[in-house]
Amino acid sequence: MAGSEEVLEGFLCPICVTDFKAPIQLTKHFEDFHNDDPEILKSLKDLFGKAKKKILKQDEISYSFANSIPSTTRLQRSPESNWEPQEIGMMRSHTKYFKEIRNMRLERYSTETNKLLIRLDKLLNNLPTDPVDRKVHERTIVPWIDDKDVKLCPICAKSFHVARRKHHCRLCGAVMCHNCTIFLSLQDAKKMTSPVSVQDDSAVSPTSERPISERIVRAGIGLTKLARSPSSGSLNSVLSLVNDSTGSEQHFRICTHCANLLDAREKQKAKHFDKPIVCQFYEKMRAYMKEASQHVKMYNKMWESLNEGESTYNLEDAQALRIKIAKLGENIDLISKRISVLGTRCVENPPQDQELRLHHMVRVSAMIFLKEELLSVQALPSEERYAELQKERQRRIEARIAYERQLEEEQRERSKEQRRKETWNLEIRPIMKENQPNVVLDQSQGWGPSSVAPIMPSSMDPIIEQMSNLRAYIKQARADCRYDEVATLESNLKELQSVYFTMKQSNNSDG
Amino acid sequence: MNLITALKFYITRMTEESGPGMKVLLMDKQTTSIVSLLYSQSEIFLKEVYLFERIDANVRNEGLKHLKCIVFIRPTKENIEYLCNELRYPKYGTYYICKYYFNNFQTLRNFKINIIAKADIKLLAESDEQEVVREVHEYYADYLAISPHLFSLGINTCSQGLLWNPVHLHRTVSGLISVLLSIKKCPYIRYQNSSEMAKRLAEKIREVLSKESNSFEFKQDSCPILLIVDRRDDPVTPLLNQWTYQAMVHELLTINNNRVNLSHVKGISKELREVVLSAEHDEFYANNLYLNFGEIGQTIKELMDEFQKKAKKHQKVESIADMKNFVETYPLFKKLSGTVSKHVTVVGELSSLVEKHHLLQVSELEQELSCQSDHSMQLQKIKELINNQQIREIDAVRLVMLYALHYEKYANNDINGLLNLLKNRGVSDKYVKLVYNILEYSGINARQSNLFDREAVAKITKKLFKGLSGVDNIYTQHTPLLNETLEDLIKGKLSLQTFPYLGSTMMSKKPQDIIVFMIGGTTYEESLTVHNLNKQNPGIKIILGGTTIHNSASFLEEIQHATSGILTKYKNNNN
Repeated sequence: MAGSEEVLEGFLCPICVTDFKAPIQLTKHFEDFHNDDPEILKSLKDLFGKAKKKILKQDEISYSFANSIPSTTRLQRSPESNWEPQEIGMMRSHTKYFKEIRNMRLERYSTETNKLLIRLDKLLNNLPTDPVDRKVHERTIVPWIDDKDVKLCPICAKSFHVARRKHHCRLCGAVMCHNCTIFLSLQDAKKMTSPVSVQDDSAVSPTSERPISERIVRAGIGLTKLARSPSSGSLNSVLSLVNDSTGSEQHFRICTHCANLLDAREKQKAKHFDKPIVCQFYEKMRAYMKEASQHVKMYNKMWESLNEGESTYNLEDAQALRIKIAKLGENIDLISKRISVLGTRCVENPPQDQELRLHHMVRVSAMIFLKEELLSVQALPSEERYAELQKERQRRIEARIAYERQLEEEQRERSKEQRRKETWNLEIRPIMKENQPNVVLDQSQGWGPSSVAPIMPSSMDPIIEQMSNLRAYIKQARADCRYDEVATLESNLKELQSVYFTMKQSNNSDG
Repeated sequence: MNLITALKFYITRMTEESGPGMKVLLMDKQTTSIVSLLYSQSEIFLKEVYLFERIDANVRNEGLKHLKCIVFIRPTKENIEYLCNELRYPKYGTYYICKYYFNNFQTLRNFKINIIAKADIKLLAESDEQEVVREVHEYYADYLAISPHLFSLGINTCSQGLLWNPVHLHRTVSGLISVLLSIKKCPYIRYQNSSEMAKRLAEKIREVLSKESNSFEFKQDSCPILLIVDRRDDPVTPLLNQWTYQAMVHELLTINNNRVNLSHVKGISKELREVVLSAEHDEFYANNLYLNFGEIGQTIKELMDEFQKKAKKHQKVESIADMKNFVETYPLFKKLSGTVSKHVTVVGELSSLVEKHHLLQVSELEQELSCQSDHSMQLQKIKELINNQQIREIDAVRLVMLYALHYEKYANNDINGLLNLLKNRGVSDKYVKLVYNILEYSGINARQSNLFDREAVAKITKKLFKGLSGVDNIYTQHTPLLNETLEDLIKGKLSLQTFPYLGSTMMSKKPQDIIVFMIGGTTYEESLTVHNLNKQNPGIKIILGGTTIHNSASFLEEIQHATSGILTKYKNNNN
């Protein structure tokens, strides 16, 4: 049904009845094939001109139609959506219970880790360079298990002999074979116990009161003690120098169990600082989006008011805001683009599939945001058009006032019954005259301090002072895009100005 | 009582709880469909959710530690296991776990629900060695909200041997309970007396209500009522051809989670292989959901005209002003063009199917079979249609089914003759057997209300009314049994024999909030009925739910499953 309609409506050649999709093509076709008849061509062109005008008119209609879609549907909505507002359904939180159990379990780990860290710290402290002295030092801090008690390596369960010798873990003192131990370099050990990183941790943690931060502090109890004596820190560094020079025995032998515990803690610490660049970009983008949507809201309000011809807001302000929104939009676009290509050029460490997908999705969402929020920002009326709108409004208001007056008048007339028509005419004229200058004053005074200021430059009239204050506020508010405030402040200013004006006039008349 | 709003509240809460930042949503199969029914992609982006992962996906990649992970799963055993693994080797920065309401009393009868929940939580807590979990919550979003008044549980075949499949019963109970909790209602329960399944479900629900009574302490000024009915009482509705848009699309093309698969249509473009029909995001669909096919043709034409107007406008971009205008209106235009091509394709496909299979003819006879009693004429027509090779086998079988249901006890019925005709036509054995199966499933012995007599009596009065207003549409004569049941319930006239209360408490007032649950699946025709009742009775809110939403094909499958494994007395009688 629709198909046949379309053919009829197309750009048909009146002679050979073929459909050309566009007017240009049709005219061209006509010029090429039927140019023997200039009359027809001319009439055809005329027709197009008319059609164009019509279509242009239709534009507005269909545009307003597009705007009215949501409102019409709201009326048609199903009865279910008119049901009274409801609250969120039942919920139950298990977080507390979950954390109880988890803490109970993790407590065990954390005390053990703490113990190891304290020991590690003590081992590092005053570590002798001589191997024999060092062994004594180690044994005084961590009691070693007696060799004779251990027949088999507790981890791999192999027997010990000349080739597979017994070794002690320096942190827990247990015995195991060489293969089941790990060397922890002094450097790493120092990093683990270094007060600097602990301080960094605590610098991060207060901002986020989370259980994780609690645990790091918990784990660092022994270390904060260390942090209080700066001498040990310097001593450590001296020590490391010494160690470096000797070149031998630069590590502790520890068992895998202890290594795992220490490792886990390191990872936890690392997580705190691990915040990839994409996060920063993203946060920035979100901030822009938030700002932009606030501005758009404000702008729409201003737009409506301006289109009504009201003078609550300034046209220039609205224009500035529009530019600002456009700039924000550009920024959002730029950042999201950067996110979408983030790391794709990196050769050694190409981003994984999931990451790429994430970046792509962020970009898509930014595009949707731009499309739905920012592109729908409507153009402002031009200066001339705005002036027209204002005049129109003025006329409307006047008409209304006149109408109301007339009504009043008529009522009065009716109540007083008979009255001569001439007086009525006389009455209305002065009223109109009174009305006019008021309006003119309002508009001309809008931003006209120049006319006021030079007249009374010396005397610091309190009113003038207040006016200049107000102007400063307006400037500030405008800079912050709080146009609502600008509007109220400006109306205040106007009031002040008119008060000042009348005062001055009365002064003038007095003097 | 708006189900979609209820679920949206939950999802919003989930995303808000985790604060700002990029998020990933980790779901299982069922929660994925729940979320996809509610939100479009752009809407979920607004909530800063950018990635969607399945918890049962095997891919183990490095993960993104800077993401917040919202885990939204049903706490089944497998899911908890997956989640434990996930927590042991976390891929994401922090986790917020949102679960469904659940209970396992089927297997562990003696435990209170809370205790079982606690066991799971303990398991999770013990797996969380890296302290990545921030919050654990239970949300009651365990159902598919299709429209504000319609929900489904996505169980296609809920019964076996005409009794509950235990797994599905459990799922149904938790689904219904979560509906009640999400809209905060603690209802009186009425059930269909003739149905064993309805009774059992009602009892289970009450068991949970009393166990969890502290969860169900809501302030209630309205009187909610839960009415449990059985599909077996009205087998006719899902057998009929439908003529309203939504129901028709489901009948002929099958709607699955608001998605319609059109990939079988010849020459279809890539983006239309699968279209989304969601009243939430598609205004045209929302407005035309319940209109009949003729009206849809009209509105589609209007839509086309409007679109053409706009398209023409867009063709002509000559001046700068035009260009500007184009850029400004382009998103709107693009959206409209998407809607137009989608609905034009769907409606076109529907009309070609109707034409190809002579569905108007079939539907007319179907309506007569379901609403009038003119045996010899109808028999004659059925025979004609069966012999007409252009009629689909399945349609012929459905006609015979309707005939069998109607004239089962009629002295001169010719069910066997019709079956022979079917066999002669070469209709597969499976279908022929289904005719017996439907009698078993829902023969006159299984039904408690007299489907056809009721119609016959009511018809006379209705005919008169319709004759007066002159809008008798022969394709929509049938009204589902549910309509009558609900009207009685609203008036407070529903029989206590056929629909008794569970327990001794009875409601004194007339009900205001009604939740109807249909075991064995509901239909879009019934959804329309409920929609109309909601419209006609301001102040009364009705929600309809079912184990699934049936069209005739899925209903036949349901029957086959339901009647498997029981001895069919009909077959013996008739052979």
